[in-house]
Amino acid sequence: MENVATHEDWKNCFAEAAPGLVLFARQFVRSVADAEDIVQEAFVKFWRKQHPIENRALLFATVRTTALDLLRRDARRARREADVVAGSEQSVAPQFDGASESQQALAGAVDRLPAEQREVLVMKIWNELTFAEIASILGISQNTAASRYRYALAALKKNLIPHERVF
Amino acid sequence: MNEFSDLEGELRGLRPAAPSADLTTRVERALTEAPANVATAGVLPRPRAVPVHWLGLGVGLAAAAAFLILARVSVEKPAKQQPTVAVAPSTAPEIETTLPRTLVPDGVTRVVYHTSDDGLVFPRNSEEPVRRLRSRSRETLQWKDPGTGASLRVSYPTEEVELIPVSGQ
Repeated sequence: MENVATHEDWKNCFAEAAPGLVLFARQFVRSVADAEDIVQEAFVKFWRKQHPIENRALLFATVRTTALDLLRRDARRARREADVVAGSEQSVAPQFDGASESQQALAGAVDRLPAEQREVLVMKIWNELTFAEIASILGISQNTAASRYRYALAALKKNLIPHERVF
Repeated sequence: MNEFSDLEGELRGLRPAAPSADLTTRVERALTEAPANVATAGVLPRPRAVPVHWLGLGVGLAAAAAFLILARVSVEKPAKQQPTVAVAPSTAPEIETTLPRTLVPDGVTRVVYHTSDDGLVFPRNSEEPVRRLRSRSRETLQWKDPGTGASLRVSYPTEEVELIPVSGQ
């Protein structure tokens, strides 16, 4: 069997990965438009370099690098985005579709996680990457990636318990 | 199962917002409008230019011509034996001539674009854990009519789930 991806394969690959990629990009820039620009640039770059289509770790690493490059290019913008990431109350488009009230609370709790834990959570839960892949993307050990994931879940659980009692 | 299983299930219930249709359009356009000087994915890289050696080229052409002559001879041999083999009723050749040209398999492509490891799971009616590996791929089958050059391509997504027994230690 050949293993050369066709245009159709790439289009399907993008359709499959796009929601998760945009969600991942939004961990760096909260504007949907900016996140989509990053995903477009990263995906086309990934495709042009003829990387193996199944190498999702490299695709996510490309998105991350593109996002960080964008932030570095515009320091003022970076500060603005950092303020948003730090947890200000600015209104941004929701990151999840059709969430119920309890799901919105959960999404809000995800939003308040420290950035380094949130990006691991996003890659693990909504993009189904392994800890090995996440570790290679972030340049950290697998144990560190797994720890950040567990810290994120623990923080979410802790934050959600009082909320559940109210309702 | 771990202490966070329920929470992980709830998190997976959150569906990431769908990207805009504009993004999909822009990416698809970019995939088809690659600049001419940029190698496009899915296409084998252009081989390096090799200086032409005319003597070698001449020898090569002569060898190719000899090969074609020999190949032609070997192809014609079975044709000579055909009358002795043809014991079928006389209608058989007519059927063959009335049949449309058939498509012959021309290629199979299988592109794995996502693999994931679900870790250990306990299937029903099983006391031993197994490791579940998933892989999503797209398979493309292609047929070609050698006579007309027409081709038919069928492409479909597949998902394979592999359960690997884990022995106790």
